Amino acid sequence: MPIEYKNNLAVFSDVVSVEEAEALLEWLQKNASASVDLLACTHLHPANLQVLMAAEPVISAWPADTGLAAWLRSALKAM
Amino acid sequence: MNPLLEQFLSEARDFLQGIGEKLMQLENNPGNAELMTELFRFVHTLKGNSGLFEFPEMTRVLHAGEDLMDAVRHGQVEFSKELADRLLDSMDFVGLLCDEIEANGNIGAAHAADSARLAASLRQLIVKVESPAAVAAVVAASLLATLAETHAGQGEGERLPLVKIPETVRMDAYRHACKGAALHWLDYAPAEECFFQGDDPFFQARNTPGILWGGITTRQPWPKLAEPDAYRCVLDFHVLSTAPREELDEYYRYMPDQVRMIPVPPLSLALPDGKHNGGPMYEEFVSNAIGLLGKGRLEGLSRAARTLLDLSRPDLWLSSALRWLLLVMELEPENQDAFGALIKSLRHLIPPQWAELQPGLPGKTLEPESTLTPAEAEALTALLAVQRNILTLPIEASWQLGRIKAVASALSGCLKASGNLAALPGLEAATAMALNEAVSTPLLVWLDGALQERQQAATAETQTVQADAITRTSPNTEGQSKFGRRSEDVVAGSKSIKVDQVKIDRLMNLIGEMVVSKNALPYLAGRAETVFGVRELSREIKAQYAVINRIAEEMQDAIMQVSMMPVSFVFQRFPRLVRDTSRKLGKEVNLVLEGEETEADKNIIESLGDPLVHIVRNSLDHGFELPEVRLASGKPAVGTLTIRATQESDRVVIEISDDGKGIDPKVIKQKAYEKGIIDEAALERISDQEAVNLVFASGFSTVEVVSDLSGRGVGMDVVKTAVERVNGTVALESAKGKGTRIRLSLPLSMAVTNVMIVESDGQVFGMPMDSVVETVRVPRSAIRTIKNSLVTVLRGCIVPLKSINTLLEIDAPPIANAEDELAILVVRLGDESVGLLVDDFRETVDIILKPLSGVLAGLSAYSGSALMGDGSVLMILNVKEML
Repeated sequence: MPIEYKNNLAVFSDVVSVEEAEALLEWLQKNASASVDLLACTHLHPANLQVLMAAEPVISAWPADTGLAAWLRSALKAM
Repeated sequence: MNPLLEQFLSEARDFLQGIGEKLMQLENNPGNAELMTELFRFVHTLKGNSGLFEFPEMTRVLHAGEDLMDAVRHGQVEFSKELADRLLDSMDFVGLLCDEIEANGNIGAAHAADSARLAASLRQLIVKVESPAAVAAVVAASLLATLAETHAGQGEGERLPLVKIPETVRMDAYRHACKGAALHWLDYAPAEECFFQGDDPFFQARNTPGILWGGITTRQPWPKLAEPDAYRCVLDFHVLSTAPREELDEYYRYMPDQVRMIPVPPLSLALPDGKHNGGPMYEEFVSNAIGLLGKGRLEGLSRAARTLLDLSRPDLWLSSALRWLLLVMELEPENQDAFGALIKSLRHLIPPQWAELQPGLPGKTLEPESTLTPAEAEALTALLAVQRNILTLPIEASWQLGRIKAVASALSGCLKASGNLAALPGLEAATAMALNEAVSTPLLVWLDGALQERQQAATAETQTVQADAITRTSPNTEGQSKFGRRSEDVVAGSKSIKVDQVKIDRLMNLIGEMVVSKNALPYLAGRAETVFGVRELSREIKAQYAVINRIAEEMQDAIMQVSMMPVSFVFQRFPRLVRDTSRKLGKEVNLVLEGEETEADKNIIESLGDPLVHIVRNSLDHGFELPEVRLASGKPAVGTLTIRATQESDRVVIEISDDGKGIDPKVIKQKAYEKGIIDEAALERISDQEAVNLVFASGFSTVEVVSDLSGRGVGMDVVKTAVERVNGTVALESAKGKGTRIRLSLPLSMAVTNVMIVESDGQVFGMPMDSVVETVRVPRSAIRTIKNSLVTVLRGCIVPLKSINTLLEIDAPPIANAEDELAILVVRLGDESVGLLVDDFRETVDIILKPLSGVLAGLSAYSGSALMGDGSVLMILNVKEML
């Protein structure tokens, strides 16, 4: 599973594909104060990114992939 | 280049030509629906064809053209000269692409921008407008937009949100740029529905070549988790890249309309950023530094900067500016203006205005009028003239206000683009007046004034520019929207021509006659020697004959090449046939085609079609087992059907082999016996190999159930007849449980037949060399009689003998030679050999076989006749029918 949902934390790993976006959105809508762990994520489809940008969860860990982290920070840091 | 592409190019040229013609005809006759439909069809087909290949640039333009034509066809857009111009331009562009494909095999990515621009310009016209004036307005406005864009593009570097990029990255980019790399800022705005097309724009952006930095922004603020649609892309991607422009073009070639690439001047990256810390307070350093700079003491300046930098907190605006100052000093020590600007910026903590510092960049001076290139100035004048035309066109009152507004906005755009801001208030006043009174006169008056001014300016300009233009070999004109392929240009000759089959046939016939009359020369030589006794002349004629012979043969070969076709012509229908048929039968079959490029005469290829379909169907129906049966017998579930074409000397061999269940000779024998094809004796006697070949016997079909695919009794015998009609042969090999292989052997060409001439009872006959096995002379004593028929033994084999005189009902015995030997022509008849008793053998000749016609057509003993070099007629025997 590219996204593992634990209590109040969504852990992303590897490549998160477009199919995950809907479930992620639902989960984030239910867990308003959730946080997201991106440490092991190597790429995520922009649909997921849009969900994250809209839902503004707490990012508990940025991706280890520095390139991806830089991109994501530009999109998510404002929150 | 593959044949498909070749054909596409040749067709594309035809279509382009056709489109051009139709457009021109339409200009004279705009209301002609038939012409319009035809034009649409051309564009439509061309677009469809281009879609087969990876030419997104071409398809995009054609698609836009198609949409436009469709709108015109349905009366949504009226046909106009401007519209035709744009379409012609686009078609020129397509032609240009065709040339490039022909030369390089592909299209350079550099055309993507042109393609997007053309497509957009075509689509612009697809608006519901009803008067030609409106179309003209759209055309003018877009012309203006391009003009404005070229100017805007140059200043854009300043307005980019470069400051968002972390300083270290910017410094890095600056270092790259100083080493000669081109810096580009990319704005990539993917289409909203792109997720549904399986795109991942983020991935695309992340992998941009030469990427230094990337950022993502949204197009609109997020609605608070209300009902955000995750699958509608609202992200924009921004990338700073050091890759060359061509590489970027190539990378984004499928989406040129979604990507904006803006060159970034290196210095514009030098934007100090950080905490202001209470405002400007560094006056002392600034004046000191400017003093040092003025005296040219760069070392001192650098030392001072370093000291101040060490003393300041690194996150201050000041520190950032100092770091930039040091970096610029290090990399561009000559650019003292830049140092100055950076130092002065410390006074107000406002980033330096780099644009004012870069004399190299055009469009920055305060008098932009003079920066217009001659071509641009011309375009501007043309634009004004167009606007004037629009205003003078008769118009309905309800359109008047809209027209005035359109023209006014176009004109104000013109002024802005050309930098002539001073004239703006005058225009606004004129517009207001025109709108108030709903007449176009005030604008017209203003325009006339502006035009006069321009003309004066233009004459002045041309005088100054002319000298300039000589050195500058006006590459500007090339870069404009025209693609320089008008009628005056050299037409790139197309490499292939379409020729009527009749013309080729005529050539064939002519070369045939030529071969025949060439054959008359040896007779002439013979006569010169024997009748006139001039040996010398005879030899010369023979020498000349050798030359003509060589040329004629080459010519014949060349003409034959013309009518040659690759077997792929028949092969191409098989993938579909096999797929459909095997699916219907519930079988799994993998088709392998080999040697599709093998060529043969068109007639042969065409005659191959039906037999091959028959064989393939048979193979699918009877040959292959169902997957479960195959698995049970240890074969892979998917069967393989191979169709292979090869050339063997002057014949084409086509092999169709399958790995199915093969043919059981016992079953065949039994069936053949039941159907009365063979008698009981033969049942015992014939070999397995012979038995499997019984499937070619007429009226033979083994399958128990007649399916709708094959097995209706018209089976392999049809194949055999069809193949034999073109002088081909069929052979079948089969191993039970392993598969079947059918081999068709066909002549390369039917035009010329090589025959051996034999003599009997003073007459000459031709025998096709294909069926001649050997010629022997056998002593009369070696000929025996068994049960009323003559036989002889050749190399241990019994060969039945027939007298040609008997067969043709000539009442004369065969004549033996001086040694009492009889001439025997051994011919092949199916798998057997038969000896024909003749009087004498003569030479072999190439002849053009003409089938017998009229009442003679009933004479089945002859396959046709041919004209000999000496004018006599040679009858060609048909061995099969004769025996």
